[in-house]
Amino acid sequence: MGLDKRVIRSVSARAGSAVATALTAVMAFGASAAWAAETVLTMHIEEQSSWVQNFNPFDLAGRRQSTMDFIYEPLVIFNANDGGKPVWRLATSYKFSDDLKSITYDLRPDVKWSDGQKLTSADVKYTIDLMLKNPAVDTVGVGQTVTSVEAPSPTQVKINLKAVNSEFPESLADLAVVPQHVWKDIADPVAFKNEKPVGSGPMTEVRRFTPQVYEQCRNPNYWDAASLHVDCLRLPQISGNDQMLALLPEGSVDWIGSFLPQIDKTFVALDPQHNGYWQPPAETVAFEMNFKSTNAGNLEAFKDLNFRHAFSLAMDRKSMVDIAGFGYPVVNLHASGLPPRFESWRNKAAEGDKDAFMGYDTDKANRILDDAGYKKGADGFRTTPSGKPIAFPIIVPNGWTDWIDAVQIAVEGLRSAGINASVATPEYEQWRKQLLDGSFEVVMNSRADSATPFQGYYQSLSTAYAGRLTVSAPRYSNPKLDAMFDQYLKSSSDDDHKKIFNDIQVLIADDFPVVPVFNGPTWYQFSSKRFTGWVTDKDPVMNPEDHDNNRMRLMHLLRLKPVQ
Amino acid sequence: MRVSGRRLGVYAVALAFAIVMNFILPRLMPGTPVDAMVAQLGARATPAAVEAIKARFGEIDQPIMMQFVDYLKGLATLDLGVSVKYYPQTVVQVLSRATLWTVFLVVTALIFSLCVGVMLGAISAWRRGGRFDTVVSPLSVIMFSIPPVIIALTILFVFAVSLRWFPVGYAYDPDLDPGFNFIFAGSVFMHAILPVLTLSPFLIGEFQTTMRSSMIVVLGEDYVTMGRAKGLSNLAVMFSYGARNALLPVLTNLALMLGAVFGGSIVTEIVFNYPGLGLTLFTASVARDYPVIQGQLLLMTMATLGANFLVDIIYGLVDPRLREGAR
Repeated sequence: MGLDKRVIRSVSARAGSAVATALTAVMAFGASAAWAAETVLTMHIEEQSSWVQNFNPFDLAGRRQSTMDFIYEPLVIFNANDGGKPVWRLATSYKFSDDLKSITYDLRPDVKWSDGQKLTSADVKYTIDLMLKNPAVDTVGVGQTVTSVEAPSPTQVKINLKAVNSEFPESLADLAVVPQHVWKDIADPVAFKNEKPVGSGPMTEVRRFTPQVYEQCRNPNYWDAASLHVDCLRLPQISGNDQMLALLPEGSVDWIGSFLPQIDKTFVALDPQHNGYWQPPAETVAFEMNFKSTNAGNLEAFKDLNFRHAFSLAMDRKSMVDIAGFGYPVVNLHASGLPPRFESWRNKAAEGDKDAFMGYDTDKANRILDDAGYKKGADGFRTTPSGKPIAFPIIVPNGWTDWIDAVQIAVEGLRSAGINASVATPEYEQWRKQLLDGSFEVVMNSRADSATPFQGYYQSLSTAYAGRLTVSAPRYSNPKLDAMFDQYLKSSSDDDHKKIFNDIQVLIADDFPVVPVFNGPTWYQFSSKRFTGWVTDKDPVMNPEDHDNNRMRLMHLLRLKPVQ
Repeated sequence: MRVSGRRLGVYAVALAFAIVMNFILPRLMPGTPVDAMVAQLGARATPAAVEAIKARFGEIDQPIMMQFVDYLKGLATLDLGVSVKYYPQTVVQVLSRATLWTVFLVVTALIFSLCVGVMLGAISAWRRGGRFDTVVSPLSVIMFSIPPVIIALTILFVFAVSLRWFPVGYAYDPDLDPGFNFIFAGSVFMHAILPVLTLSPFLIGEFQTTMRSSMIVVLGEDYVTMGRAKGLSNLAVMFSYGARNALLPVLTNLALMLGAVFGGSIVTEIVFNYPGLGLTLFTASVARDYPVIQGQLLLMTMATLGANFLVDIIYGLVDPRLREGAR
């Protein structure tokens, strides 16, 4: 017995010390063991509870969000911060035919796929044909716009359009050209997981993939290798904002796209020398009234410009930004609702006295409503000039806490102007359904994002789109505006576009269909500890976000250089 | 064993009920998976993208009875369908990945708490009213009452974020490859400490309380007095005569606790980003991933039923008095 016990004790003591050594090793090396020779950029793009190896560019919801741009290079990127000017990637130019019914792209001649084969016009044709044949992979909507594709030469692609549409190249910005020699053997391109992608972008080689982290490394045949100074992207799995906040003190993530409350305290203060952020304003958020409301009283009010002006004057935009938005959004004081990043498109003629209703002034709102015949009833709430009651909920998705707070501030303002407004917070799915079927009264909503301001206005306010998208919820219809949109689509010169868009701004500022309140932030934080070249507010050359909807993130990656 | 015959009937009814509920519940949630997927896309949900997703998954417009038949057929062949969120992975793939971690977490927490709780309970019953008892017993009630979410957030903040003694998330260091070596095992160990500590106070409190009261009853029995009269040491009386017989109610509790531990593990896994069933259930619910939610609920129901069944059998073996027809 005695002997046994001693043996056991000494074995367990040894095992214990071995475990202790192992633990020390784990704790000591932890995050920084692997890379010394190569430069690895750690990114946070998306929130998932576990990584699934899926690099199928046509699987919008399932693909890893590092698939576009980093594995599949775009033909051309339009830079919103540079007046929508093209940044040529796989293509070197495009040209519309004289009747604007077809467009021909010239491809860069020296591009190779990551497996060494040449990238030619056949690949582009194959990709668009695949989308035309199979609507489930048509992520850019060519089914709506394209009749056929031709490949006149290995470096030329001619696309025949269904209708004249000078905005077509922008709609093709999200196209991922896939290699025909790989994809032609795939039986079901929808369910294909593309675990070992063959791509055209800078980071095509998936070196390591576990449910907790994956690494994407340098494409050995990248055409623009001279501009690429990062060897690998490393993407740790992060399931939410809270997880991100907990990880920040480790300082292990270089490029972040998170919502961080009190960012100066929670992020910058951890390493003031290296940690930085720039969260430039993005699309305009506005209150939109339903111009097809089935409630007679509400409809009468919504259609009255005086009511919309009074609505706007009841908006405490500054509180919405400071209290509801942690100070991250930016107040929008243009009656045209033009987002700040489209500064170069700004028409001064659409401002000045046209912006007179964009301040916060409930006295003036009350005066306007009194003068227009909106009488207050016994309950203190106003009725329409024809005596019908006005009462509406403003819907905002459940859980969007900053937006709910903003709507609450709006409701307080409206009530002090005698308008019987309230807040309703349906589930997102219900919210979306109400926007699409037109059963809502008022909604706080964001406009479609795009590289030029046209698309945002066109999709939100044209009769063609009215009610078809969540961004076109107000169901606004104005023949004069429609004619301008049409004219814009049918002209291909930049000067014409500018001129027409100037008129559009004036018309919208005058007719004031929606009530702009603020511009939401983009999410971008960085650490310059391991890499430099980050885009900042001092050098605002592009949208700095690393999210999947920002094609310019490719150019951002190519700016980065490792710290020596 | 007639005991198991009748019991089996009860379990079969419970299981059938669970299977039907499991089918109905996710369908009562508002919104379809297509809506949820569009919601997830956020700013990327261009009109073309929404159309592509609709073309791919279609709206679920099969009649409800047909859906139910398909569901039963799938169950019979252990084909639980394809996940919407992790498409094209199957539900079985998604769940088997996560089950391992949750079982590891829950079993570790149960064993740890059982040992600690039973010891504390036995000692405080032995020295009833003593200094140890007056401190430990109220403490148990407190521990029993604190929700796991508060413990999780507190120890995450103190030990992982502020002191940085422990990792803030994951089941093991993401830079390691799984394997049977000390480094990997050590990493798993380090990453499990905080989650297990989160799950434990509740269990320890529960086990201590049950053990203490059951032990007090047992200590009043004649055979304990007899043991002392024989001149046995205190330790021998306490463990061989007292604790051993007092364990039965704790065992019942163990089976009942299983459901509660799973519940606690949902919160714990979310806070610690631990890749188990809880985190999977949470993300699946947010994504309206019906197939995964269904598979997961079914798995949990079966686990709880199975554990109860097992305890029933063990009970009969441990305590002959409970066998039916024995009297």
